[in-house]
Amino acid sequence: MYYLDLLVIGLVWGCTYAMMALGLTLVYGLLRILHVAQATVFTLGAYAGLLVANGTGSLALAFAAAIGAACLAGVVIYRWVYEPVLDKPPFVPLVASIGLLIAMEDGFRLVFGPYGLSFTNNPWFATMLGVAGIQINLVQAVLVITAVLSIGVLAWVASSTRLGVGLRATVTDPAMAESFGVNRVQVRTATFLVASALAGVSGLLVGMLNNLVEPGMGGLIAYKGLAIIVLGGLGSVSGTLLASILFGLIESFGTVMLDQVMDRDAVAFLFMLLMLLVRPQGLLGKAR
Amino acid sequence: MKTLFTRRLLIATAALACLGGQAQAQNIRIGFQAPLTGPAASDGKTALQGAQLAVEQINAAGGIKGRPLELVVLDDQTQPAQAVPIANKFIGDGIKAVISGSYSGPTRAAAGVFQEAKIPYISAYAIHPDIVRAGNYVFRTSFMGEVQGRAAAKLIADIMKKKRVTMVNVNNDFGQALSAGMKDAAPKLGLQLVSEYNFGMGDRQFGSIVASVKKDDPEVVYVSGYFFNGGPLVAQLRAGGVTAPIVGTEGFDTVNFVQIAKEAAEGVIITTSLDRDTTDPVMKKFIDDYKKRFNVGAEMVAASTHTAVNVLAEAIKKVGIDDTAKLRDAIAATKNMPSAAGTITFNNSREVYKAAQIQVIKGGEFKRFAVIDDPVLLAPPNY
Repeated sequence: MYYLDLLVIGLVWGCTYAMMALGLTLVYGLLRILHVAQATVFTLGAYAGLLVANGTGSLALAFAAAIGAACLAGVVIYRWVYEPVLDKPPFVPLVASIGLLIAMEDGFRLVFGPYGLSFTNNPWFATMLGVAGIQINLVQAVLVITAVLSIGVLAWVASSTRLGVGLRATVTDPAMAESFGVNRVQVRTATFLVASALAGVSGLLVGMLNNLVEPGMGGLIAYKGLAIIVLGGLGSVSGTLLASILFGLIESFGTVMLDQVMDRDAVAFLFMLLMLLVRPQGLLGKAR
Repeated sequence: MKTLFTRRLLIATAALACLGGQAQAQNIRIGFQAPLTGPAASDGKTALQGAQLAVEQINAAGGIKGRPLELVVLDDQTQPAQAVPIANKFIGDGIKAVISGSYSGPTRAAAGVFQEAKIPYISAYAIHPDIVRAGNYVFRTSFMGEVQGRAAAKLIADIMKKKRVTMVNVNNDFGQALSAGMKDAAPKLGLQLVSEYNFGMGDRQFGSIVASVKKDDPEVVYVSGYFFNGGPLVAQLRAGGVTAPIVGTEGFDTVNFVQIAKEAAEGVIITTSLDRDTTDPVMKKFIDDYKKRFNVGAEMVAASTHTAVNVLAEAIKKVGIDDTAKLRDAIAATKNMPSAAGTITFNNSREVYKAAQIQVIKGGEFKRFAVIDDPVLLAPPNY
């Protein structure tokens, strides 16, 4: 029972990480940029959602606000931060991204205060579901369902729609794709919209799960998200998924078995280090 | 005529400038180290408010022998690595006494620097034992971590009459000091420490710890951590079906804890230094004044910095601020001084003995549960 509990928790955490890291993989696959500022979009989605939820009492509006704010931020970041430096060496957009992340974290603190905000009404937070004898929180259930749905939809888009095929073509060979009439700007904007929407939704859900939206909450994406996509194989969506689930499971079991010895993050990162020593290209990345 | 006028104007301006300069030199400047950014920014803001209230009240009553008190604030970002450069900045700017309104990590880092420079340094609420051991210029006006842990042990054993305890600690200076105190007193009071789990300051999801606590089925769960850990943790414990009473520490002594945990906060008992139901006039006055000034309920962190400023101000009143050795002695001689966080008397190791205030959350508010006044059990060490 206990181990089943831990397994379920690990899977829930894995799905949470998957939603946070998926956007990073998509952007990296397309532009070879480590979109660390995804954390900013994540936090912005959480704040926007919380403010609307507290203001209107409607969760549906809150999600709409989270996605809307996140998408807007994502596209703005692409246009103003990344596009001007795309022709420079890859560390330039990375440094710009990190700078934006640091600045925005303090920006959030200045605008929204250092205390962190809570939901005045958080019905999903208080609802527990019994599944096969395990208790999980409704927010956690929604996270898992949303993650699964998002991945399913993305997989379908990638394989069956014009946009999806164009995206895959651009990732494989940008010049060739363009010569076949794939609109580069359209593909990029679509990628950032999708990545940002995922970040915004997961931001709001994580905020609901903790009942706390803080300026620094995106930090998790910034370091763990990157570790996950590296472990999964940079640019591989299925690799990211696998790595996310593994991270979730390792943390779930590791925190109670090894917590006297090492911190939760240390356990996860140690695992990542060991994996990379064995398979440097990541779990599902292509060997070079 | 023009020349005469100009000359008079120049003299008048020069005189005014001198007076202005004099007014600046009039201020008694004390340093205040606070985590205004970083993970502790919320407590940093509260800490600063407590200190500001104290300074305003002192100045409204005429300052220190007619000279106004001025708080020089620097942000340590909750980072020990940042605490050292700002300590050096305080010293370089000629500040003669500093109060830490920050957490144990940064305070411990700065204590060594101030001791070297022979600048009196008062830790308002950071609890790690090694802070004061940095030397005889470092003081602490709040409980040591271990003492608070022992108070919790007495609370659980003698007042709540429970035996089996699971500890869930934050894995930094704060949490480790508290758990050391609990472990020290537990066998003497007949408590059985069933299990212990650790988490990091940045953790907000405790699913696996909750599952483990359920499996262990203790009579009481003792949690050390800050409100941003404790709030989610307590909510998740209750949601996970853990009904055992939860005992927390002063890290939960803030309205933010109740806001995050909502119904789960009901019935949580904490060890702290602020009694909302106090009859002590000085503590009560602080609570009322803080509410009037900042429109929110007072919290332990604010009471602690308020106390530290007042302890320092009293010492400066006696001997002035120019001779730091004399100032150090005056601070050390503080005896039975009533304050917002309890009566302050330093022992030979510059620690204080205070009664432990035990508060319980009822109806979303902190209320008195008990007071533990045990000078033997709660005696700070003398070394």
